[in-house]
Amino acid sequence: MSATGRLGLFAFACLLLIPIVWQLVLAMPPFGAHPLPYADLINAAAPAERHVTNMVSAVNFDYRGIDTLGEETMLVCAVTGATVLLRGQRGEQLEAHPGQVENRPIPHRSEAMLLVGRLAAPLTVLFGAYVALHGMTTPGGGFQGGVIIASGLLLLFLAEDYRGWRRLMRSWLFDGLEGLGVALYALGGLAALPLGLPFLTNILPYGQPRNVFSGGLMIIENLAVALAVCGGFVVLLIEFLEETRVMSDGEQE
Amino acid sequence: MMLPLLPPLPVVMPLTIAALLLAFSHVLPRPVPDAVALFATVMAGGVCLAMLGPALHAPLVYWFGGWVPRHGFPIGIGFYVDPPSAAMGVFIAVLFTAALVFSWGYYDEVHAHFHVLMLLFLAGMIGFCLTHDLFDMFVWFEVISVAAYALTGYQLRVSALEGAINFTIVNSIGSYLFLAGIGLVYIRIGALDFSALEQGMRQATPDMVARGGFVLVATGLLIKAAQVPFHFWLSDAHAVAPSPVSVIFSGVMVALGMFGLAKLCWTVFLPAGELTQGVRHFLLGMGIVTVLLGGLMALSQRHLKRLLAFSTISHTGMLLIGLASFRPQGLAGLFVYLVGHGLVKGALFMISGILLATRGGIDELGLRGAGRPIWPAGLAMAAGGVLLAGLPFGLMGQGDDYISAPLRHSLGGIVPFAIVFGAACTAGAVLRAAGRIFLGLGPVAGEEERGPTDEEAEKADRPLWLMLWPAVILLLLSLIVPNGANAFLTGLVRDWLPPESANLTTGAPMLQKPPHDPAAWFGLPAALALAAFDLMRHRLPAWFVGMVDKMKNPLLRYLQAAHSGDVRDYVAWAAFGLATFAVVWNI
Amino acid sequence: MNLLPWIVVAWLMLAGLYGMITSGNIVHLIGCLSTVQSATYVLLLAAGYRHGAGAPIFYTHPPGTPAVDPVVQALVLTDIVIGGAVTALLLALALQLHKRRGSLKPDELRALHR
Repeated sequence: MSATGRLGLFAFACLLLIPIVWQLVLAMPPFGAHPLPYADLINAAAPAERHVTNMVSAVNFDYRGIDTLGEETMLVCAVTGATVLLRGQRGEQLEAHPGQVENRPIPHRSEAMLLVGRLAAPLTVLFGAYVALHGMTTPGGGFQGGVIIASGLLLLFLAEDYRGWRRLMRSWLFDGLEGLGVALYALGGLAALPLGLPFLTNILPYGQPRNVFSGGLMIIENLAVALAVCGGFVVLLIEFLEETRVMSDGEQE
Repeated sequence: MMLPLLPPLPVVMPLTIAALLLAFSHVLPRPVPDAVALFATVMAGGVCLAMLGPALHAPLVYWFGGWVPRHGFPIGIGFYVDPPSAAMGVFIAVLFTAALVFSWGYYDEVHAHFHVLMLLFLAGMIGFCLTHDLFDMFVWFEVISVAAYALTGYQLRVSALEGAINFTIVNSIGSYLFLAGIGLVYIRIGALDFSALEQGMRQATPDMVARGGFVLVATGLLIKAAQVPFHFWLSDAHAVAPSPVSVIFSGVMVALGMFGLAKLCWTVFLPAGELTQGVRHFLLGMGIVTVLLGGLMALSQRHLKRLLAFSTISHTGMLLIGLASFRPQGLAGLFVYLVGHGLVKGALFMISGILLATRGGIDELGLRGAGRPIWPAGLAMAAGGVLLAGLPFGLMGQGDDYISAPLRHSLGGIVPFAIVFGAACTAGAVLRAAGRIFLGLGPVAGEEERGPTDEEAEKADRPLWLMLWPAVILLLLSLIVPNGANAFLTGLVRDWLPPESANLTTGAPMLQKPPHDPAAWFGLPAALALAAFDLMRHRLPAWFVGMVDKMKNPLLRYLQAAHSGDVRDYVAWAAFGLATFAVVWNI
Repeated sequence: MNLLPWIVVAWLMLAGLYGMITSGNIVHLIGCLSTVQSATYVLLLAAGYRHGAGAPIFYTHPPGTPAVDPVVQALVLTDIVIGGAVTALLLALALQLHKRRGSLKPDELRALHR
């Protein structure tokens, strides 16, 4: 189809859709004032039943915990898929030089970058750990914390450049973190089965509300998600940054 | 005793094993991932089989975390193992087992990544079948999709990468429409569990927002089920994926979209009175167009896997026809046909994989006569082709009867004609390819000999028998129709029917066994004629060949041009399809 | 004002589709796909909004104070993961395609095909 034909087809579709969408917009329930029975149930029940104060985490790790297992599974699929696609036949060479585009010199790494990177990276990792740990009480959780930790590790790349960074970031380690994170989530759920209880039943003591260690099994699941997300994102970063390195002889892309 | 604990296992077990495989992938020796993946698949299928028997008496309900509904309102996520879902689980595991045996030793380059992806693919599919929660269904469907996107591009050839990009983009649009539909339904009903949705919709009907949600959810599933005009991605993706993956794609992944749509329609939207006559006719028309177009396109392909991909489109259209009748017979037909087609198509993709591995090609014309040394594969391929023709035996034939019986007279009697036409085209295409590759029939003159398809081959160090026997077993399985089939089907569909139509008190079977469709006998002769026309055209009178070509070529040229491989076209067609669906539903 | 969130949802979705259809580069097209997806974020979050309510976090407020819907927020979190997963995969595919074909413009990719 030509560009015009495509646009014509889309314009025709819009012509049909827009009146219906407008009708739909008019028929929508009043914004901010329609009943939310599911939400009310959770907001009323979770603080008393699970001793946590962050309702989003309660939904993620307990009431709808199996969704989160599916979500981590999907992340593993994507990371594994991207690894397969990017790595191809290529091996791993930790000592290799970063690749260089012709006529584009690699800028000299400034002292300031080194200082800021080395300072900021551990602070960011620490902040990520804080966000992940306090998932049961305040906004945050394993997913958010895991992403922050991964980006803190990426800051090291700015400070240490490719070669140094790659010596720190071994893919077997982060593959392992990712796999073990998901496995830990599943095993935490399976732990209830020998007692004759359903998968993901919260059998641990719930602790005190507003305490970091509240929520019972949710603490473990939260940790598992943090591990899986951190591992998964670092593997993605490794694979995308690997694209910058020079191919050695005999390697295919 | 053990039974109440089983429902999560077919999902959680493969998933855990896959995660552990990934974690230790750097240290495991070579045959371990193969064996572990096969073991996990067989176990998952075994658990589903163990649940199927009890489910026929009463569906198993399983609330994760022990969150049983509170005052009738679901607070957590449930798995609901009804007979169709458990049976689908068994079927999925059978197909995965065959595909893993077929691919034994094939993928050893990158740290067990293939096996990790396959196991997650499997877990997602079974989760999709068992779940009873709209958003959870979406999550598992995304697991399936993301695993499928990654597996499509696995071989890193240009065509594979392009196919994977088209597949990912079009299907992602489907996902987001699905999710937007969930949002609309949630705004209106305030719940996500199927039973709660159905009750809520009953009270809210007729309601613009809930119906808008249905249209979006259904469109999302129709994109995944590759119905015209949402089908373009399928031929690009299935043609380029590694053969064992194509087995799963065509055998069950596409059909799962239809399975999910059928489940939602029958258990949520139909009882809630959301499916107007117009929507039903629209779905029926879409199914018919899909059957016809898939058949025509299959007939005009020379890339064998692309040919099979178009035939999958045609046969998935059959499933939509079975659904759109909204009769118990049609639903039973959908199940039988889904399984029968999955087995046959899985076997055919394995044979194309054998050709890729042992003959180093997939182009029908380029392979002319090259199949003679591996003639047993040719026999299997011909058998598969005959089965596609829809003769009234075997699972596909049975499914045919069930699907067409309630629709003999609707839309002016076009349905049986469309079914025979689609079956004849797809079977004719497969038989033609088999005749050319394995018997050396149908010489082609001149420039046509060099195909536009790029160089393809798959690893060739596996013995022929290892690859052939899973295919033969799948074909044999598709021939078995046990005596009590009708009673079993009654048990399958009963749980999905609205309570008022079920005759549970007397226990009388509600499902009538349909008479054999006499039209079905025309499928094979027509297929043979189509195959013979192409293979024998040098012997036929020139005026006859010229006349036929003049009739079919302009049409085919338009169709070929529409399947451009440009993802922007596909997006435009998807928008068009969504718009027409929305219009039909609004009227 | 009450209609604005829903209009934004429809606008984002159609604008994203328009961008995909007229796109001249696969990477741009992937960005437009994310635009379509952000429509679902807005829809879900708007579905859970409630006038005069706070965050569903009862750390400083006692449980029982009005709060917005935590369920849709959890759903959006999953949605974000999906978006990240799909985008990463698509970019990996696009990168490999660019290495092999030297272009990511759909018109040029098609021209090379014929």
